Amino acid sequence: MNTKIIRTLVKKEMLDVFRDKKTVIMMLVVPVILYPLIFIGAMQVVTLISSSMETQNYRIAVDAKDEGAFLHKLLESGEADSDDETDSAYEITIVDADSVADYEAALNEEVIDVYVSGQMQDGRMQYDIYYLHSVTNSDYAAGIVMEAFNKLREEMTRARIEEAGLNVHEILEPIGYEKENMSSSEQSLGSIMGSVLPFMLIISLLMGTMYPAIDTTAGERERGTLETILTLPVSNRQLIVSKFITVAAIGMISALLNILSMGGIAFYIYAILEMQTDAGSFDMVMFAPAILVCMLSIFAFSLFISAVTMCVTSFARSYKEANNYITPLMLVVMFVGYIGFIPNLELTQAMAMFPVANICLLIKNMLAFKVDYGMIAVVLISNVAYAVIAILFLSKIYDSEAILFSEQKGSLQLFEKRSNLRKGGVPTVSDVWFVVAVTILLVLYVGSLLQVKYGLAGVFGTQMILLLVPFALVFYTKKDIRQTYGFVQTGAAGFLGGACLITGLYLINIVLASGLARLFPESAGNVETTFSVILEDNVLAAFVVIALAPAVCEEMLFRGLILHSLKARYRIVSAIAITAALFGAYHMSLVKFIPTGLLGLALCYVTWRTGSIYPAMMMHFLNNAFSVMITYFPEQIGQAVPILAKETPAFSDMMLLCGAGLILVGIGGYVLGKCRRP
Amino acid sequence: MIIADHLIKTFVRNEKKNKKSEIKAVDDISLTVREGEIVGILGPNGAGKTTLLRMMSRLMKPTRGQVSIRIGQTEMTDEIEVKRHIGYLSNNTKLYGRLSTRELLQMLGTIYGIPEETVEERIRQISEVLSMDAFLDNRIEKLSTGQTQRASIARCLVHDPQVYIFDEPTLGLDIISSAAIIDFMKRERERGKTVLYSTHYMEEAEYLCDRIVLIHQGKIIREGTPAELKERTKKDSLRDVFSGLILEEDGKTMPAAAGGSQERPGSMEGGRAE
Repeated sequence: MNTKIIRTLVKKEMLDVFRDKKTVIMMLVVPVILYPLIFIGAMQVVTLISSSMETQNYRIAVDAKDEGAFLHKLLESGEADSDDETDSAYEITIVDADSVADYEAALNEEVIDVYVSGQMQDGRMQYDIYYLHSVTNSDYAAGIVMEAFNKLREEMTRARIEEAGLNVHEILEPIGYEKENMSSSEQSLGSIMGSVLPFMLIISLLMGTMYPAIDTTAGERERGTLETILTLPVSNRQLIVSKFITVAAIGMISALLNILSMGGIAFYIYAILEMQTDAGSFDMVMFAPAILVCMLSIFAFSLFISAVTMCVTSFARSYKEANNYITPLMLVVMFVGYIGFIPNLELTQAMAMFPVANICLLIKNMLAFKVDYGMIAVVLISNVAYAVIAILFLSKIYDSEAILFSEQKGSLQLFEKRSNLRKGGVPTVSDVWFVVAVTILLVLYVGSLLQVKYGLAGVFGTQMILLLVPFALVFYTKKDIRQTYGFVQTGAAGFLGGACLITGLYLINIVLASGLARLFPESAGNVETTFSVILEDNVLAAFVVIALAPAVCEEMLFRGLILHSLKARYRIVSAIAITAALFGAYHMSLVKFIPTGLLGLALCYVTWRTGSIYPAMMMHFLNNAFSVMITYFPEQIGQAVPILAKETPAFSDMMLLCGAGLILVGIGGYVLGKCRRP
Repeated sequence: MIIADHLIKTFVRNEKKNKKSEIKAVDDISLTVREGEIVGILGPNGAGKTTLLRMMSRLMKPTRGQVSIRIGQTEMTDEIEVKRHIGYLSNNTKLYGRLSTRELLQMLGTIYGIPEETVEERIRQISEVLSMDAFLDNRIEKLSTGQTQRASIARCLVHDPQVYIFDEPTLGLDIISSAAIIDFMKRERERGKTVLYSTHYMEEAEYLCDRIVLIHQGKIIREGTPAELKERTKKDSLRDVFSGLILEEDGKTMPAAAGGSQERPGSMEGGRAE
């Protein structure tokens, strides 16, 4: 291969990309200027708030018989604080409790910050401190009062022990103990960095490559220079390699800038902390191997991620389209990037082959001073190998005249005027991808918030998001609701076969899940805790929210909208495979991926065979209802079917379940095979 | 000299999932353009002009047939070799807006493997001929339409190719800009170069071309000098020759409907500014 041509092309691509303001802003301004600015800004806000809080005058209303000792203590604590090295002090004004008619109103109107009431109860004083957690001043003042009470109580305890003629020290501290951190300061630092750094690296590399990848592929097409470059005596491979080198190099530069900038800030914080406290200093030489592997990882991952993003953006004809294509990729990479935050997840041989996750875990391990040269090699080589595969795929795209010379406009109907859209049909695949990405984002952020706040009702709310957001697309683009969702009548055979299939699959999934739980014990724990939260509510509500709502909402999204729009564009095998994989990934758990993926596969198959969504809805309901029953009635089920209730089933039990499951799946498949497809 | 030998291009169009239809955009065209000759390709929209020119400049691979270039006694068929001797210009060959014309020409010179001093000398000459000195170092995105057009011509000229292939080069240009292109083609013909180009402007073709090739539905339907074509069809202007022949052809294949052009694969042919 002629390197001179590649060098010239790389130089041209670099010039082209770097002369674009957007790239320079993304690459340079964000890491070099924005991060420090945000940091300094945040620091100043914090100092401003804390200083204003400490010079504040807090008004405390006290309604108690035994005011003298308490008030004295309170004022004393204010004075004591002012003696500290912090030169700011707060003042306390004691408000007459009689002037406060309604303390709740007074707190809300911020006439007073804290209201303290005290009365004799069972021979001792009981004080209640009323404050508003949501109001900073009130919250802070309550803290001061609490501190004062602590001091008061301690002093009174000491006084009484002395009064009784006992040894204060012996009574209060009958034993002595102390905790000592044996990990070196390097290990502590490494473990903190190990969870944060991989994620930061991956995101900054993704962000850094995204823009040049779009620019050199879709951007080139949009600007109309692709045909120009194709007239040159340059081979397809030279062209792709030069674009790839450009994107990967820019990704690396931007990642390094990001790391340097954040590293600089971290060092600055560390220096300040070191000045203020006597924290141990770090031996940076110990981090040399980790830093070296980090650099190699940046190199390998930038090759991988540039090749992958370029593959995705090459299909797009414009910036806008490329952005739409890249959003799902970004979500997936970010999601996998969180893996560094999961404690105790080990880098196994299998994990070392898993893109994105392997880089995260490798860097984490290196920072935890666990070095395995074989593993390092596997991770780096697998990343390079994936990059090569992606590049080969890319050269196939650049060989395809149908893709290169295609003049069709982007197919996002979502952004077109509704009056311009034609009625009927199913949504286009690009529209569906876009809406699925938006829906998943909403479920991630809004949905989890709802679930934390409202429990079961929140789960229901999440299901509504799944239902309504995609429906808005179908409605806006005037698609055929019956066709899109598969609201079609079907015979009894579909339901019967579906019921057999799902029961069999449920049994097989029990075996699979217990097998997977042994492989990934941490993630399995997570699954159990989410279920126990739900247990607190009543059974009927659980059935509605956990079995019925997903059966309707998730089916309408996955087996309805997604499957039908994919089916219209791709072969049925690909449509089913993509839908099932998406359904597995939607459950956002490594352990759940295989079982839910299989479930998705079965549901897709039934929907395809019958042409109707109703059997899939029934199957989904049955599947989830089984889980609810096992969670709520473990004893009853244990008596009826002992195998199901065993904590750790024996191998023979597993084989039995598996066998029964396979037979049921076989029967279901046979019945469904007899179904006449519409 | 450029020789197209029985070129065929079929596009497969995915109508729906499993149904596929094949469309012959270019159906067995053989064509030779000699040194010192300008050949014009005429034909209605969707006749296959762009596809033919893309194949002859090796942007697209022919489904069947071969394109070769002959200079003196040597004949070349290799894709890269053929591209090295062709200057191709169309409405879709835009320039890199963020580079200056000089940077663009220097880069192209390196890619075509021309020694650096020769490239500098050639840039000087081209700039003089096309009077580009004033904006040679400005970014291309800042140039006016006319200046951009001249920069595009410069792009085709930098490697001094033996063959020029232009796809509707004067489409949408004002009189001054299109005159620059027409002058350029005439000048290159004087220098013994081979010029092949497509257009919709009959008067321009009549004035410029040594030979005209009329294509319709992927096939050559007439070929000859403007005078020959007029004489054979007994028409006064090329415009009448053209419309007469197209209607006659459509009448042969589809007696009911005269406008056959809509049946062609528009998506693969498109990219026009209209």
